[in-house]
Amino acid sequence: MNEQFRVAHKLGLMFHHDTPLPEDVKAWAISQLHAKSPALGIKKVKHYPKAKVQEWPKSLQPDLKKRDDMFAVYKQNVRKQRMELEGHTSEAAKRANNRENLMGEKDEMKFAHRNIYGKDQVRLRFTSFWANHFTTGNIWDNQNHIGHAIDEAILANLNGSFSHMLYKMTTHPSMLVYLDNVWSSGPNSKNVIWAKEKGKQAGLNDNLGRELLELHTVSPSAKYSETDIRNAAKVLAGWGIWPGNLSDGLMTLNERNNKLIEMGETTNSWDFFKKWHAEPGNKTVLGKVIPAGKGGLRNLTDFLASHENTIMFISFKLAEHFVSDNPSKSDIDYIANAWRLSNGGLDQIHSAVIERAISSKAPKFQWPMTWLFQVVRLSDASFFKGWDQIEKYDEGLMEVRKIFEELGQSFWHTRQPNGYSSAKSEWLSGEMFERRIRFSDAIYTAGYPSFSPQEIMDRIGANEATRELVNSLLGRKKQFIALMCSPELMGLENA
Amino acid sequence: MPKLNLTRREFLKVSGASLFLAGLPLPGFTSDKPPGTISVIMLEGGMDGLTAVPPFGDPNLLRMRRNLTSDNYLKLNSFFGLHPSFKYFAGLMAKNNASVVHATNFPYVLRSHFEGQNLMQGGGLSPFSETTGWLGRALDLAKVPGRSLSLDMPLVLRGMSDNDNFYPASIKSSSDLMTQLIDTISMAHSKEGSEIFAKVSKKSTQKDSIVPRNPASLAKFAGKAMSQDGGPLSSVIKVDQFDTHANQGSDENGNHGTQLTLIDDIIAGYKEGLGDAWDRSIILTLTEFGRTVLENGTGGTEHGYGSAGLLAGGAITKSRVISQWPGLAKNEQFEKRDLMSTIDYRSVCAACIEKSLGLDHDLIASKVFYTPKLPRVYDQIFS
Repeated sequence: MNEQFRVAHKLGLMFHHDTPLPEDVKAWAISQLHAKSPALGIKKVKHYPKAKVQEWPKSLQPDLKKRDDMFAVYKQNVRKQRMELEGHTSEAAKRANNRENLMGEKDEMKFAHRNIYGKDQVRLRFTSFWANHFTTGNIWDNQNHIGHAIDEAILANLNGSFSHMLYKMTTHPSMLVYLDNVWSSGPNSKNVIWAKEKGKQAGLNDNLGRELLELHTVSPSAKYSETDIRNAAKVLAGWGIWPGNLSDGLMTLNERNNKLIEMGETTNSWDFFKKWHAEPGNKTVLGKVIPAGKGGLRNLTDFLASHENTIMFISFKLAEHFVSDNPSKSDIDYIANAWRLSNGGLDQIHSAVIERAISSKAPKFQWPMTWLFQVVRLSDASFFKGWDQIEKYDEGLMEVRKIFEELGQSFWHTRQPNGYSSAKSEWLSGEMFERRIRFSDAIYTAGYPSFSPQEIMDRIGANEATRELVNSLLGRKKQFIALMCSPELMGLENA
Repeated sequence: MPKLNLTRREFLKVSGASLFLAGLPLPGFTSDKPPGTISVIMLEGGMDGLTAVPPFGDPNLLRMRRNLTSDNYLKLNSFFGLHPSFKYFAGLMAKNNASVVHATNFPYVLRSHFEGQNLMQGGGLSPFSETTGWLGRALDLAKVPGRSLSLDMPLVLRGMSDNDNFYPASIKSSSDLMTQLIDTISMAHSKEGSEIFAKVSKKSTQKDSIVPRNPASLAKFAGKAMSQDGGPLSSVIKVDQFDTHANQGSDENGNHGTQLTLIDDIIAGYKEGLGDAWDRSIILTLTEFGRTVLENGTGGTEHGYGSAGLLAGGAITKSRVISQWPGLAKNEQFEKRDLMSTIDYRSVCAACIEKSLGLDHDLIASKVFYTPKLPRVYDQIFS
């Protein structure tokens, strides 16, 4: 590939056919870190000519409060349905409840659209890296939160510091729900004392405390103890709201809001701290003394964010994701150094990643979702439905949720908190490769690409081996499949 | 799927001797052709052995786990019971075709899912030390192909180039795979990519019927495939969501109980699919760790150490609960919080390999688990 597309393959999602190729590709990639683009997408799929790309409608991008309210209403309706109340039991009522109050499907479509039509491809790749680092899945009742976390806790904070992003993700309801912290209360909190008096259960849950140390920051290389984990959990105790209804009764939104204010002095689920659930007293984590109270968590996340083990652990992850499948020590050190010098400034860290990814000539195997977005962008195919078609059956086009399911990768799946591996070895299997062939076929067949394999090869400056492979086949469809599954576009070595 | 309706009275007939495990490995047997099949059900997140197989004879169980223990457990013997989700498995125990190993784990005590899962699959001496898995290495030694029933290739099966995974694709607007096209793509790739596309090509000529996605149906499919002449001798099914830190529940409808029902359904699926091949089959569960003895403050449990392993298959001819019970009192717990592990689960895996693949225990101990002195427990399970 020419230098522009080689870099876009490693660090971005490929240039659209109407985007002029930058002359200084490194300067372009670094400037992309500040590229601002609204969520772009299409209303409805059209092939000749292709549908107009426009901003996602505001009505489909509710703020967090609205999302929480919608979910509370959803839960109430489900309860009414179980009670067999009139007007709530028909299939139409159930569908309307899903359509009006659940965000998972819309958010997943918006994410796909954004990655396909977005003008901020490098930013979006870093967004996906961090969304995976701070994995939150659709476990419990989390689907109205995941898309909001990706957009507002990750993408919106991409130009700040790692410590800020860490704090914003740790306190985001998407994380607090996914790793059970919403339930947790300190062993000496008022809530636990009252519960004991009434013979009820309440106490600590260490799930988020453990993963905050193991996965989000210092990693097991820091050799923390179970006591460190428990103390981190005690710092976290009190953070978060259980989504949906707060009690067994059918609460109105007003009553719910009043209850929230009583518990956490706010209705904002992204800044929600229940002092009655908090653990009194100082806590020590990895030798650092953390004071009691709401401010304690920021002390902890700031301490962990600048910890040397965090820097080395995440610098490796970044290098493995963007630079090469076997990053060198100097790649990792270069990123870690930028981290130390900038005190965790994400712009500087990301710029260092970009520099190393460009200077390393090694191919980088791409995730299934990254590859899919790249194939669709290169060919200008229409493979994802538009937002007006969410509920409409189409015999050619797959549901967005189904696409990601078949791909074997989605930020909206229930999955383990360590997220998807960037290691090539995790993805080398017949099943995964068969899917690349089938998806290439489906994108060609149902997506009506605007460009032929020859035109795409010319634009990207495909290498000799790729041209030989494609030209040895007869028929555009076969050529298209071979191009998209070539070593060059998958990020593997040529034979 | 047939489900046996067993009363508690019938369970009293199940033999369930708790055995003491000790001694040096005895010489095993080898033969030219692997005598059986081996299937692994991987339970991700940490199965709660005390919920799955409650030791109700231990006075501390109800004292410490009142809300986590189902009161309608199925009685196995005077000490152990089975979770009510395991109705089918209980039937197999009644027919002497299943056993339980309790208070067991891989030798891993640090309670990280990801280190633990890596170790239970890699089977090496420490997490992330291996790029191949114990089952893959065993199959390699026995020179037989394996197959995994999930979208990503689990570490446990890696180590043998003929391994392939199978999870049926359902992608609209894509047509049947074209062998010649895939062969051409395969040739353009270097070794690693080329080998994988070659597998896809080989598969494109096989006629796989459409398989539903639920674990039980996949198990039935796997069983059927393994029952064929020249079919795979091994399979792995992965089930997640055992990590119940909150609202764990106690009975079949609880969050943990629902997952246990899946295990029961998978075993039933295997039995149905294997048909006559059941008699030479062994199925075992694998989980990264058990869960804390005490309930946490949110109706769940945290990451622990010792758990239980379930074994099923016609290769078992006498049902038992194999355990060197460590006790649940605080001073009997591991680090005063977890069930102690008194049986190295690698020994259980080794016995299952020995039985199904006909490899010598010493060979398995040294070449599969890199632990030449790994105790042999074959006789306790299969005699």
